[in-house]
Amino acid sequence: MTSTTSSEILLSVKNLKVHFELEHYQNNNLREVFISAITSPIEYFIKKPELLHVIDDVSFDIKRGMRLGLLGVNGSGKTTLCRCLAGMMVPQKGSIKTEAQVRAIFDIGTGIMPDLTGRENAFLLARLFFPEMKDLRPLVNESLEFSELGHFLDIPFRQYSKGMQARLMLSLVSSQPTDILILDEVLDGADYFFQQKLSVRMKNFIKSTGATIFVSHSADQVREVCDVVLVMNKGKLGFFGGVEEGLEYYHKNMAPTLNPSI
Amino acid sequence: MELKFFWAQVRDLTVASLKSRYRKTFAGFIWVVLNPLMMFGVQSLVFKTFMRIQVPDYNLFLLGGLLPWIFFSSTIQMTTPLFVTQSYLLRSFKINPMVILTSQVIDNFINFIASFLLILLPFYISSDRSLSALLLLPFALVPLLIGTISLGITLSTINVFFRDTNFVMSFILNLLFYITPVFYPKSYIPVKWQWLVDINPAVYLLNPFRSVIYFEGNAFWIDLIKALGISILLMCVALGVWKRKRNDFYHKL
Repeated sequence: MTSTTSSEILLSVKNLKVHFELEHYQNNNLREVFISAITSPIEYFIKKPELLHVIDDVSFDIKRGMRLGLLGVNGSGKTTLCRCLAGMMVPQKGSIKTEAQVRAIFDIGTGIMPDLTGRENAFLLARLFFPEMKDLRPLVNESLEFSELGHFLDIPFRQYSKGMQARLMLSLVSSQPTDILILDEVLDGADYFFQQKLSVRMKNFIKSTGATIFVSHSADQVREVCDVVLVMNKGKLGFFGGVEEGLEYYHKNMAPTLNPSI
Repeated sequence: MELKFFWAQVRDLTVASLKSRYRKTFAGFIWVVLNPLMMFGVQSLVFKTFMRIQVPDYNLFLLGGLLPWIFFSSTIQMTTPLFVTQSYLLRSFKINPMVILTSQVIDNFINFIASFLLILLPFYISSDRSLSALLLLPFALVPLLIGTISLGITLSTINVFFRDTNFVMSFILNLLFYITPVFYPKSYIPVKWQWLVDINPAVYLLNPFRSVIYFEGNAFWIDLIKALGISILLMCVALGVWKRKRNDFYHKL
């Protein structure tokens, strides 16, 4: 794809830092907390929480028209970064400046009420996903048509296959232009044909407005969709730039962390 | 603006969940009333007939405490595991967890209203109490709702970190039932034990309801102000916990 990136900055990330408290990953229930508070009370109450730095001083800009591929091995902070951009998490340090509307999607098998039909779930999802829309009917009807689910729309959502769930969700999400859309490893659920159809829709809608962030492990997908690549490396920004260089960086720098003997 | 979206989302979710329940079986509705009715029947039999608690109009007295207690305790038990059971949805995209929780509480609140209309109202009308006192009832429900939602948010968030919180809570609620003046009046408690009631937040949330139903609005406004105070305090705790634990919440979910 040719680059359509303009110089207008939609979102600006500066010195972003996010950490979690490690103790939450050691004690998983109140019984354990109770036991450790009883067995070593002094240590329990004066111990400072150990911190797990998930994002460490990351800065970059997202410009209008950018199709950013976000790469990195598991645990490198990709999803946390996306959650911060989407406004779900709040960074401890640094800033995210944006006037843009950011929508993010991290999972696609989301039925809210499994006993209700796909159609009813679609309306509910639309209400949650597009809270500012007054009349949801045109949007949902268009998405349902696009999903090609036909008579499956009126059976309970619990009977949907993974692929059907993906179709419903992705059709809805891509139905409305958004300033910035974040897709975290969600294209994998749909079948090949629907991916093709969806990718045309996405490209059209990227052309009309905004920017897109794709999180993916597939080099092919990144090549096809993205024009810029960001590689997260152990919580730091490893690379930010062209697609081929980015993929090369990713493969060169991430591979050695895998143990070759396994 | 945010608040307007919030209510639209809560409304749609509540309607959908009611639809989902009653599509399966209308008997669900009978169950909703049967459960408090049986609790009431057994407690009335045991405390009034067997143990002979000396309280005039005991059935009305009991219902004035028992119905809001059932709402409070069953809502807490339902909402504590909620964020964990809905983790898939909460992780999927940006959705305010409070929306899901509030809709669950309101869903339960509708059950509460149903048991009020079908069980309590007949008793109230057959006693010779003034019907105009019932006009105070909506005010009595405000702190009960706010307090229960807030406590639900706090406990459900804690349950994300400590997955046994809901078991601990059902144990605590069992204990709390006996030290909360639901089936006996506060005046039965010896003075040196009354602090147990004074530190129990549930008591404050329940009081205005009984004050309307049983005491015909006597001391209602004082009870209401205390209840509002406690419910606002609980709300501040809930928002504080959420604000402080927000990142870890998503990470642990």
